[in-house]
This record gives sequence, structure tokens and C-alpha cells, in this order.
Amino acid sequence: MKKYLLLFTLAGISPAFAHAFLKQAQPAVGAVVTKPPSSLLLTFTEGLEVKFCKVIVMDSMGMHAETGAPQPVPGHANEMSVPVHFAMPGKYTVTWHALSVDTHRTEGSYSFTIGN
Amino acid sequence: MDSPVWLVIRGLCRGLHLAGYFGAFGTALFGAVLGQGQLKGLRRLAWGGFVVALLGGAGWFWLQSADFAGAGDPATVLAALPLVAGYTRFGWLTLARMGLLLLALLCAQGRRWRLAAGLAGIGVLAQSWLGHGAAMGGPGGEVLLVSSLVHLAGAAAWLGTLPALALGLCTSLEPFALARRYSRLGMGCVAALLATAVLQYLLLIGKISAFFTTGYGAAALVKLVLFAGLLGLAARNRYRLTPALPASRGMLLRAIAIEAALGLLVLLAAGVLMQLPPPAMASMAGMGE
Repeated sequence: MKKYLLLFTLAGISPAFAHAFLKQAQPAVGAVVTKPPSSLLLTFTEGLEVKFCKVIVMDSMGMHAETGAPQPVPGHANEMSVPVHFAMPGKYTVTWHALSVDTHRTEGSYSFTIGN
Repeated sequence: MDSPVWLVIRGLCRGLHLAGYFGAFGTALFGAVLGQGQLKGLRRLAWGGFVVALLGGAGWFWLQSADFAGAGDPATVLAALPLVAGYTRFGWLTLARMGLLLLALLCAQGRRWRLAAGLAGIGVLAQSWLGHGAAMGGPGGEVLLVSSLVHLAGAAAWLGTLPALALGLCTSLEPFALARRYSRLGMGCVAALLATAVLQYLLLIGKISAFFTTGYGAAALVKLVLFAGLLGLAARNRYRLTPALPASRGMLLRAIAIEAALGLLVLLAAGVLMQLPPPAMASMAGMGE
């Protein structure tokens, strides 16, 4: 069994990441950024149905920083951007709820820091 | 609508939709490929498959929309339906597939069986674009997508033609010749199903213990056991009952009825399976956190 998995891996085929999980984010997970961005970019392992995705961005006081619904990124079916406004520096927690094009829902959270 | 009960009901609706779709497609294929286009009752059988596909599909569409919207009340689900239909792959693909099936049935009504089988066949294969392979992309996704296309084609061509085969054997003056021609189609389908099942096990399940420790694995195991039963029945039909035709006609018809019933159970299990996360991706939980 292991040698077949190795064969597939060598061929560039890995066991299926068959749900939409967060692959990377901008700002990155755990990053400390000095210049607050105007939007977040979340990249997933699968194509998304952005109309049914939700992203909440909150500071340590529970105040929301997202200013609108997630938007699709043209040409990148596995990405969504979220408009944000950061009123003050500090740690922000991003909670995402994703719906993949294969009809499965996933969720997760991460944080990053806006520095002075 | 989040509970395991609704997940299973949603999966059963999906499985029922598949069963009806396969039945309509299989009946058209039977008429086109096995030279049985003039068989009495074939068009009614095809329309029966369409109705089952429509009813199962409507239930699945409603429950899937409720799940997308996180909604429990009918009013909210109703409001979500146009969004699902217009803005999700599931929505427009499901509606397009039902449109294709209706066109296929209109062709079947005019006994244009090849065209009917072609149109319905496209609808069968399009189901793959709701699977993990199409969603993932990359080399792994492409392999899974191709595997899904072959798997669906094999399942639809085998299970979908069983009711029409029973109808044909009831009235055929040459049941042995019909059964022999069908056997060639059946064996090709079985080979395709076995090969793709192994590949999908490797990529989506990954280890034997997952059959007993995960919901996806349990559903896959049910499907596997039922498939083994189907294989046993098919082998008996091919090697014992077919050579004994026409004397064994009654026994063969009963065996095909049981095969069709087992096939329906396999599709219902498959519908539930497709609602669940494959174990091979379980280690990705928490990624990005």
C-alpha cells in the first residue's frame, strides 16, 4: 500500500485534500504587519462558492473589522477577498466559514497582528 | 439542517436522484446499443427513471440549499433557492443535468435512442464536476476526476440497464442471444468499477482501519459489501443461468430483480458517502490555524 502511495506522490498526486481548507492568507497566519491592509486574501485548497462563505474579523475587544461580504477573486476560484478597516493596532482573529464547489462546508480561524 | 440525520436524508435523496438518472440513461443505452429500440414498455421505463430522478433531485436540491444557507425554516430556504440556482456550481449543474435528461427523454419518446443515450450520458458524467476531484484541481484532482468519470459511466451503464434487461428478457424470442450481448457490456462495466474503486480507496480512504473508524469509511464499506453481492449475483447470472436459457428465464428474471434492488441500495449508500469528508483529508483539519 505504501509503495502505491509513494508512486502517486512521485507523480505529483497526493491523497485527496478533499474539502476546502485554508492554504494561505494575506496577511499570513500569525504575521505581524506594520501597514494595515484594506482587504484580506484567503486562499483555499478547493474552489469556493463565495456567495455562501462568511468571514468575521474581530479585534481583542470583540469589535468587527470586516466592512463587507467576501468577494470572489476573478480567475482564482479558490480565493476570496474580504474588505476590512483596522481602527487600531493589536491582535485580530479571522474566523472563516467556507463552502466548497463540491458542496462541503468547512470552518476555521487564525490570527495576525497589526503593529504600531 | 446541520445534524447527521439531515445529512443522511440529503444523501438518500441524492442517491435516489442518481438511481433514477441511471435508470433513464441505462434504458436509452439498452435501446441504442442492444438493438431493443422497438421493445414495448421501454419508453415508459425511461420516463419512470426521469420521474424518480426529478423527485430525488428536488429533495436533494431543497435540502442542499438549506444546508448552504444554514437555514431551518422553509421561508429562508425558499429565499436561498434562486441564489443556489444562479450562483453555485451545484445549482446550475443540477438544473442543467435535469434539462439534459428531459431532452433525452423527448428523444426517447421519438425512439431516437442513440441521441437519448448520448444526452443522458453527458448528464451522468457531469455529476463528476460536483466531486472532490473537480473541486481540488492539480494532478491529484485530475486523477480523481477521471476516475469519477469512469466510475460513473460503469455504474450507470450496468445498474441503469438492469430494468430494461428484465423487460427485454420477459418478451424476447431469443433470450440467450440478448443475455450474451448484455454480458459483454456488464463485464466491461465491472472491470471499470473495480479499477476505479481501488484508485479511489487509495486516494480518498488510504487505510483499512478507516472503514471502521470514520463515517465515510463505514458508508464505503456498506457500498463494498453490496457491490460484492452484486458481483456474486452477476457471476451466477452469467455462468449458470444464462447458459440454461430459455428454461432458466424465470430464475434469471428474479435474480435481475434482486440485482437491481442491490444496485439501488449501492446508489443510496453512495449518495450518503458523497456528503461525508474522506478520511485521507482528516489530517488537514486545522490547516491554516
